[in-house]
Amino acid sequence: MSADEAIWVEVLGRHRGVAMRHRCAGRVVRIGRAYSNDVVLDDPYVAPEHLHIVRDETGALVAEDLGSANGLMADRGSVRARRLVLADDTVFRIGHTQLRVRTAGHAVAPERVFGAAVRWWPALAAAGVAMLAVGAAMLWLADYGEFRPANYVVPLLAMAVLVLVWSAVWSVVSRIFAGQARFEANLLIGLAAAVAFEAWYELSEVGAFGLSWGALAAYRYVGFWCILALAAIAHLQQISPGRLAAKAGLIGGLLAIAIAVQVLVQHDPRTGLEESYVRRLMPPAFRLSRVENEDAFFAAVAKLQGELDRDRSEAP
Amino acid sequence: MLLAALAVAGGLAAARADEPRAAPAPLSSTAETVYAAARPRLLQIRTIVDAAGRQYEIGSGFLVSDDGLAITNYHVVSQYALEPQTYRLDYARADGSKGKLDLLAIDVANDLAVVRIDTKGGGFFRFDPRAETGGPQKGERLFSMGNPLDLGFTIVEGTYNGPVERIYNERLHFSGAINPGMSGGPTVTADGAVAGINVARQLGGELVSFLVPARFAEALLARAEAQAAPPKDFVAEVGRQFTQWQAGLYGSLDAGGFRPITLGDYEAPESRAAWFSCWGRTNAGQVPKPRATIDVSTCNSDTQLFIANDLNTGFVRLTHVYVKSDSLNEFQFAAFLSQQVRPGFGGRSRKWQTPERCHEDFLAVAASGPRPPLRSVWCARAYRAFPGLYDAMLTAVTQDSGTEALVSQLNMHGVGYDTAVALGRRFLEAVTWTK
Repeated sequence: MSADEAIWVEVLGRHRGVAMRHRCAGRVVRIGRAYSNDVVLDDPYVAPEHLHIVRDETGALVAEDLGSANGLMADRGSVRARRLVLADDTVFRIGHTQLRVRTAGHAVAPERVFGAAVRWWPALAAAGVAMLAVGAAMLWLADYGEFRPANYVVPLLAMAVLVLVWSAVWSVVSRIFAGQARFEANLLIGLAAAVAFEAWYELSEVGAFGLSWGALAAYRYVGFWCILALAAIAHLQQISPGRLAAKAGLIGGLLAIAIAVQVLVQHDPRTGLEESYVRRLMPPAFRLSRVENEDAFFAAVAKLQGELDRDRSEAP
Repeated sequence: MLLAALAVAGGLAAARADEPRAAPAPLSSTAETVYAAARPRLLQIRTIVDAAGRQYEIGSGFLVSDDGLAITNYHVVSQYALEPQTYRLDYARADGSKGKLDLLAIDVANDLAVVRIDTKGGGFFRFDPRAETGGPQKGERLFSMGNPLDLGFTIVEGTYNGPVERIYNERLHFSGAINPGMSGGPTVTADGAVAGINVARQLGGELVSFLVPARFAEALLARAEAQAAPPKDFVAEVGRQFTQWQAGLYGSLDAGGFRPITLGDYEAPESRAAWFSCWGRTNAGQVPKPRATIDVSTCNSDTQLFIANDLNTGFVRLTHVYVKSDSLNEFQFAAFLSQQVRPGFGGRSRKWQTPERCHEDFLAVAASGPRPPLRSVWCARAYRAFPGLYDAMLTAVTQDSGTEALVSQLNMHGVGYDTAVALGRRFLEAVTWTK
C-alpha cells in the first residue's frame, strides 16, 4: 500500500447512505469548515480546521483532532477521541457530520445481473388470492340467508383496504427510516398476516366446538395479537435487518400489555364480556372430544354450585 | 299493579233493570250504599322515600279489624320490606287523615301483606263467608275499591268470572277496571263482604283484572294475629317464603312428569302440569323463503313470583326448536342453528344475581331406548339475597345429523340447585328420536 495512494472521504447521510464523496490525494488530508481544507464541511458545529487524516508509521490511516471544541467522536459517534485509527468501515463524527474514509482497495460487491432481482408479483398475487378465497369461503360457510353479493364484496373489500393501508403505513415508515419504501415486501407481510388471521379464526372456532373448550374462543384475541406482533417484527426486519432481540423484546412488551388490557376488560364483571359458553356450532363431524356420559356431565354441573355460592359473597 | 298506567276504556255498561241478583235494585244505588259503608275503612298506602319525604309508590288497603289491622298487597309494601332503611310507609284515609303504618306479615306467593295503622276504630271489612266454599257465583256483580293513579278513592263495578285457569298461584278473574294505585284494595260483594283483593290486570286486555281470593287474606290475617312479633328481617322472610314456594312448585312439576311431543324425527319432553300455556311458531311462510325450516314449541308456566319491582322470578319455560335444512350445507346449517340456540341468560340484574357460569360438553344419555348424542350446555346463576336459590338453564342440541336438529331448552327461574339438576337430567333423558 503506497503512502501516496488517494483516499475517498465519504460524508454520510442520516441513514448511512453516502451524501458526498471526495477523492483526496497527498500525505495529509484536512477536513474542516475553512476553504483551506481538502474537504470543506458546512456544518456550523465543525471547526474551521477540525481534523486531518495522515498515515502512521505502519501505513494505517489515522484521523487526528486539531484541537476543535466539539472534538472527534469515535465508535458511532459516542466516544470522544483525539486520535482514531481508521479501517474501511469506521464511521466517526465531527460536529453533526458522519464521515467514513475508504481507500481505493476497498472491495465492492460484484455486479448484479439484470433479471436476478426478486420477482414479487407472483407471490403477492398468490397471497392476495389466498386471502380473498379463504375469506369468501368463511363467509359462504356461515351464510344461511338469501345470497347477496354485497354480503361478500363489502367485507372482503374492507379487509383488502385494511391490508393495503397497513402495508402502506409500514412502507412510509420504511421510507423515512431506511430510505426505501419496499412496498411489495410490506404488502406480502400484510397479506400473510391476514391469511393467518383468517386461519386462526376458523381453527379456534373448530377447536372450541370440537373440544367443548370455550376458552379457545373466549381468548381467541391472544392469537390475533401474536399474529400482529409477528407481522410487526417482520416489517421491522424489512426496515433494517439485525438487532432482532431488541425488536422482539419491544414488540413482545407491547404484546403483553395489549393482551393484559384485553384480559382485564374481559374479566371485569361490569362489562359482562366474558363468554361463558361456545356460541358457534359446527357440523357434528367436527366433534373432536369424547362423548361424555350423563353422570360425568351432571357431576361437573353439580360442581358449579360451589363456585356460584362463592360468587354470591363477592361484591356485585 | 302499580306499574305504568295505560289508557283504559271508559266506564261500565249502562245499568239494566233485569240485574241478576235476587233483590233487584238500581245499580248506582247499590254502589252508593257499598261505598258509603266502605269509605272510612279504605286506605291509601304510600311508600315514602325517607330522606326526601316524597311518595315513591302508591297502593290501596282496607281495614279488617277494630284494632287497626289492614290488608294490602305485598307488592305495595315490597320496597319498604326489602329496604326499610331507605323507605317508610304511611297511609291516608278518605277523610284526609294520615298516619304511620307498621308491616306485620307478608305472603309473597299470594302477594298479600298485613299492616297496622296507628289509630283504632272506624269499622272494618268482613270477608265473604262463601270464600271457603267456592266464592261468588260466576257473573255476580262485584265492587272494587281503591285509589287509582292517586286521583282519590273510587268504586268500580264489575263481574266475577271465577278462578283463572292454568295458573299456579290461584287468582280470580274480575271483569272490571282495576288501575295502578288500586292494588291492595278490596273487591266486595253487594252486601259489602270482601271476595278478593285487587292485585293485577292484564296489559293489552280490556277490563281483564285479577284478584287474590279472600281466604288467603284471612289465613294471613290469622297468622299475623297469632305471631308474637313481626319478623325483624323481611328480606330473610321473603327468602324463606320464596324457598318454600319454589319447593312446592318444582315438586308438583316433578310429580306431574313429562309427556313426549313429536317434532320431526324427534320426541321432546313437555310438562304434564296444568299451569303451562303453550304456543307454536314456524318460519314456513316467511319471504324470502327460508333455507331451513323452524318449528318451535314454547311452554311458559303461569307461575311468576313478584319479589321486587326489578325482580320477577319463579317461572319455568320449556322450548323445543326443530330445525331442518332445506338448501343449507352442514356448515351453513350449523351457523343457522347457532342463531336458534341461546344457552345463556343474556341480561341480568347485578343487584339480584351473580354472573352466570356454564358447563358444556358432548353427551350420550345412557338410559334405554334410541337416543341421539347431544351437545349440552348448563348455565346457572345464584340469587345474592336468597341463599339456596338459583336460575338454571339446560340446553341440548341433537348431534346425529348435519342437516336436521332439535334444540331443547329447560329454563328454570328461582329453583334449588339439586331440584334443577334432577329435573334437567329427566329432561335430557326424555329427548329421543323416532327414526
